[in-house]
Amino acid sequence: MSDGFVHLHVHSHFSFMDGASSLDALVARAVEFGMPALALTDHQGLYGALRFYRLAQDAGLRPILGAEVTVEAVGHRGVESDLPPAQRLESSPGVGFGRAAGRGFHLTLLVKNRLGYQNLCQLLSSTHVRSAHEPSTVTYEDLARLSEGLIGLSGCSAGEVGASVLARQPARARTAASRLAQCFAHGDFYIELMHLLTPGSPRYISSLVALADDLDLPVVATNDVHYVERDGFRVHDVLASAGAKMHLPGPYDRENGELWLKTATEMRTLFAGLERACDATLEIAERCELDLGLGEFHFPSADIPRGETSYSVLSKLAWRGVEERYRPMTPEAVGRLQHELAVIQDLGFPEYFLVVREIVEFAKSQGIRCSGRGSAGDSIVTYALGITDADPIRHDLLFERFLNPARRQMPDIDVDFDSRRRDEVIDFIYKRFGSEHVAMVATVNTMTARSAVRTVARAFGYPISEVNAFSRHLPWVGARKLPEVLESYPECRSHPLRDPEHALVVELAQELDSCPMHLGTHLGGFIITREAIDTWMPLQWAAKGVVVSQYDKDDVEALGLVKMDILGLRTHSAISDAIEIARDRVGAENVPEPFDLEPDDPAVYDLLSRADTVGMFQLESSGQRNLSQRLKASEFEDIIAQISLFRPGPLEAEMITPFIRRRHGVESVSVPHPGMVRPLRDTYGIIVYQEQVLLVAKAVAGFDLAEADSLRRAMTKGRSRQEMQNIREHFLDRAVERGVELGVAQEVFRQLEGFAAYGFNKAHAACFAVVSYATAWLKTYYPAELAASIMNNEPMGFYSPRHILNDARAHDIEIRAPHVNESRARYTVTSDGSGIRVGLKDAHEMTARLLETIPREREIREFKDLADFLRRTQASAPATQSLIRIGALDGLGVTDMGRPPTRDEMLVLLPELKSVLSREGIAGDDVLVLAPGPVREPEDPGHVSGWSTARRLSAELEYLGLTLTCHPLALAEQDLQARGVISARELSGMRDGSRVTVCGVRERAQTPRTRSGKRTCFLTLEDSTGLLDVVVFEDALKRYGDVIVKHRSYLIKGKLQNNTERGLAIVADTIEPYIIRAKGGDPVRLRRGVASGPMGPSLGGAGAPEEESWVAAEK
Amino acid sequence: MELFRSVDGRLPVVLELLRSPWIVRASDIARPEDAGAGKRIDEIIAIAWDSRRCCPSAFEWRSRTYRIDAIVQTWAVERRWWEPGRRVSRRCWRVLARGGTYDIAFDRLEGTWALLGVLD
Repeated sequence: MSDGFVHLHVHSHFSFMDGASSLDALVARAVEFGMPALALTDHQGLYGALRFYRLAQDAGLRPILGAEVTVEAVGHRGVESDLPPAQRLESSPGVGFGRAAGRGFHLTLLVKNRLGYQNLCQLLSSTHVRSAHEPSTVTYEDLARLSEGLIGLSGCSAGEVGASVLARQPARARTAASRLAQCFAHGDFYIELMHLLTPGSPRYISSLVALADDLDLPVVATNDVHYVERDGFRVHDVLASAGAKMHLPGPYDRENGELWLKTATEMRTLFAGLERACDATLEIAERCELDLGLGEFHFPSADIPRGETSYSVLSKLAWRGVEERYRPMTPEAVGRLQHELAVIQDLGFPEYFLVVREIVEFAKSQGIRCSGRGSAGDSIVTYALGITDADPIRHDLLFERFLNPARRQMPDIDVDFDSRRRDEVIDFIYKRFGSEHVAMVATVNTMTARSAVRTVARAFGYPISEVNAFSRHLPWVGARKLPEVLESYPECRSHPLRDPEHALVVELAQELDSCPMHLGTHLGGFIITREAIDTWMPLQWAAKGVVVSQYDKDDVEALGLVKMDILGLRTHSAISDAIEIARDRVGAENVPEPFDLEPDDPAVYDLLSRADTVGMFQLESSGQRNLSQRLKASEFEDIIAQISLFRPGPLEAEMITPFIRRRHGVESVSVPHPGMVRPLRDTYGIIVYQEQVLLVAKAVAGFDLAEADSLRRAMTKGRSRQEMQNIREHFLDRAVERGVELGVAQEVFRQLEGFAAYGFNKAHAACFAVVSYATAWLKTYYPAELAASIMNNEPMGFYSPRHILNDARAHDIEIRAPHVNESRARYTVTSDGSGIRVGLKDAHEMTARLLETIPREREIREFKDLADFLRRTQASAPATQSLIRIGALDGLGVTDMGRPPTRDEMLVLLPELKSVLSREGIAGDDVLVLAPGPVREPEDPGHVSGWSTARRLSAELEYLGLTLTCHPLALAEQDLQARGVISARELSGMRDGSRVTVCGVRERAQTPRTRSGKRTCFLTLEDSTGLLDVVVFEDALKRYGDVIVKHRSYLIKGKLQNNTERGLAIVADTIEPYIIRAKGGDPVRLRRGVASGPMGPSLGGAGAPEEESWVAAEK
Repeated sequence: MELFRSVDGRLPVVLELLRSPWIVRASDIARPEDAGAGKRIDEIIAIAWDSRRCCPSAFEWRSRTYRIDAIVQTWAVERRWWEPGRRVSRRCWRVLARGGTYDIAFDRLEGTWALLGVLD
């Protein structure tokens, strides 16, 4: 008899809210226990299967894939409720995630081989995708049809066999067991025994053993593992309770916590006298020998005409494209294209390029703006095929950074499409490749400190107000850091979780750090396969109504399948809109396509160097504006550098300051080896781009580019000291062989080592720079069109819509208030281009129907008064209230006082009008005889609204999120003057080092990573003249962090930094909240219009793809 | 006194005990009047531990030593862990000793052993 044991029923975090162990912990513990194999059987899917497979293989453990599914009743045919109450089996709580959640009896399935894997994927897919709304339950027919290659275990006590035994219904247990056994090949169905150390366990086991013996079925022991550690039951209970939206003890109310990964000895002790049940685990493990064949590639089929090959088609298209792109054709382009095509052919990737090209070609043919991004920009083939737009030869972009012939790795071509029209591209993909070959990629959403705290608090039964109080003001950090955050972060100074009474909440929340919470849908990732996709992976419905894979992008890549990122970029939508508006206004012939422009317009660079970049793609964030002032871009290469420098890597490596110093001649440019001069000439001897690492390694050590890229990757990835030493020696040997002095080679290597991990992919920056230049050009020549288009495509970019309009106003563009007789749903530009009319779409409570009705009715005739508006639009009371409050009905109608009604009068009249209209169906003008009830006297009789400026402004902020009347701080001008406050406009003229007092409304607060690990907050504020950038270093942050988080406008005293090296910013000493009051003392309510809250991480930027945006991060 | 000479001899008795409907767990008895043939005790005891078999081999209750003749059953209890004052965390053994059936338990929180009840 063997003394080993293999756990065959194991749940991980990927049982979503019903598993408390990470895959790493499970694998590590199984290895520690010397187990030869381990199974993963998460509820209803294979969500973690690929990760587990790779982890286990790497650890020398045999991975057994499987799932615990819910199946329909087989011991009783028909509906359970048809049975007499005494014979009904207790239904177990639903399991599984989202629309893959199932109700039914549990059954454990294990994969024996590749066929079994395919069958399990199909079984799960067919179960989940069959209906988006009914519980996912495996049918007996599907199970019988798709059980080949699978081993079935009868399941836990929620399985039909176990549940029948517990309910003392031996006949039903017998029928269920024998019918289930019939679904599987002989010897592939086992009666599953669990000894969970409850008083009923011995009886449960002995009954099951008797049943198995009677039916001549084998038995197998499992422990229904839900956590690794003995005390993991607490986290498991919390997850299960939160998942079932219940309070503790949750849906299972178990008698004990015995579901941990026990040792072989512990399991064999539990099953003393039943050694065969433990031996069976080893036998099953031996029989499960799945090989997923990772490392191979599987491309979808491209459209290849008869008599052609994928290579021949690609080659023809590429040559034709190069001829169009390079006029005249250069020998360099010819040589490079030949080289790239040969490599692509050698690696077997032509079909992939053709598929991407086909999608891009479709988009272009439909006028859908798109652009490639990422390292694909390093290729002349993608440039020739029209996938990317930056010239790889002109910008020194290296193919080997994209496709390294020495490393056969799936190429990754990401393309951004006009966000608004992305669905058309997606439709094309489904039609072209067939819906059975396409699915969206999943993302796994994991818990942060906030979600972990909420999960625990909900399970503990705290009221929602308390749950909100617990999670509010917690920064975006991992749950593991909670104690540190609560202890040291100033914004948490008075946080309720600091109370020792809640110590258990904090402790458990910590344990939920990075725990997968639910499956999401990747914003743009599509998997396209040649074979039916459900033979590769399980599919299910996503909440948003699309079919999504259970695998994420890394899993898909590991399987060698093609994943295409069809990303939506709102900047593309804004550019297209701006051009359309401009062409309508000045004629199509007068507005060129900005992507086709030669990027050398001095007026555009003048705008950039003035840091007037709000609305520009990738160049508008506070950090980028600061960099713009320092860099003073004058050519396209500068834009590429600017995009690259303000990235986490280069920021962490503090590359910006030496770059700026050298650019302006403050510091001399020197390189240790003459071979570095050319590769580093555009960056003043500093390694900024990954491509430069390759060029330097080639120049100094004679590496070929493929070898150099391997060196770069080795230096970039987390490597041990020994590995790094080996790389170093290899580099030095090669350099010395070429006659380079050892000291010089050492210095070059030191620089490579220092920067390789931080360098940015130049191709990515170059692709973005094309879009950045287009937005910069539009801002230079069509600022109103660009601003209106940005407003029409919000949310996008770094700034709030409020600031986008304020910035437009600062450029002498008149902002016209919304009005039902003037505005459309969207923002429009006046015929002379000097003004923007605010659209109605941003007003609260507006519906699509109302937005469509208002302009349509207005075309018939203008609205003459409130009653006329209500009668013709059937607008709801809340929507009308909102329109009244923002002034969109100002000036309509005449009261018996011979003037238009004030907003107060309209608000009082509104319910009466609505009531008359609803009683009489369509009321006539007679409703005008209604006299408004008593209202307060107009605060400002001189204004048609009757409201004071402060009140109008508060309403705009609250109901529109904008400041149209004026900037809030403009109302407090006198007070600010009295306090000696300096405006944003005045700052640039002040001396570096001056003491200043500024006041601003919060736009953004960020705390990006810093190399030192110290916490610094970058605060972007807005006053009535522009933006203020405030740096709050750690000591000030400790004192004023809570003020930043809890308030929306601040009075800040500090030291002005105004020099070429560091740019313009205020280093804060003191920060106070500032309540904005108008002359009469009326406060301006910023509440809804200005966001407050925790200091976010450094994410996004103008036009950043949605998944990187601030909004996405907040979700 | 050795009640059972071997495991094979003990098993029929144990199984019979398990099947017997009159057996209730003393630890489940909430009120004395419900005890019937059983009696709830809940007193601290000392035990001797058989580390080879990982179970108690004898216990001392009211100055009298009870050598454990057989382990009838073992189970674990873990309830209300989130309420510090009401948490129960025990490992329980139902044992045969001196001709009676006893429920003894190790309290994981206190680190103590207790006799929970006696079943006649």
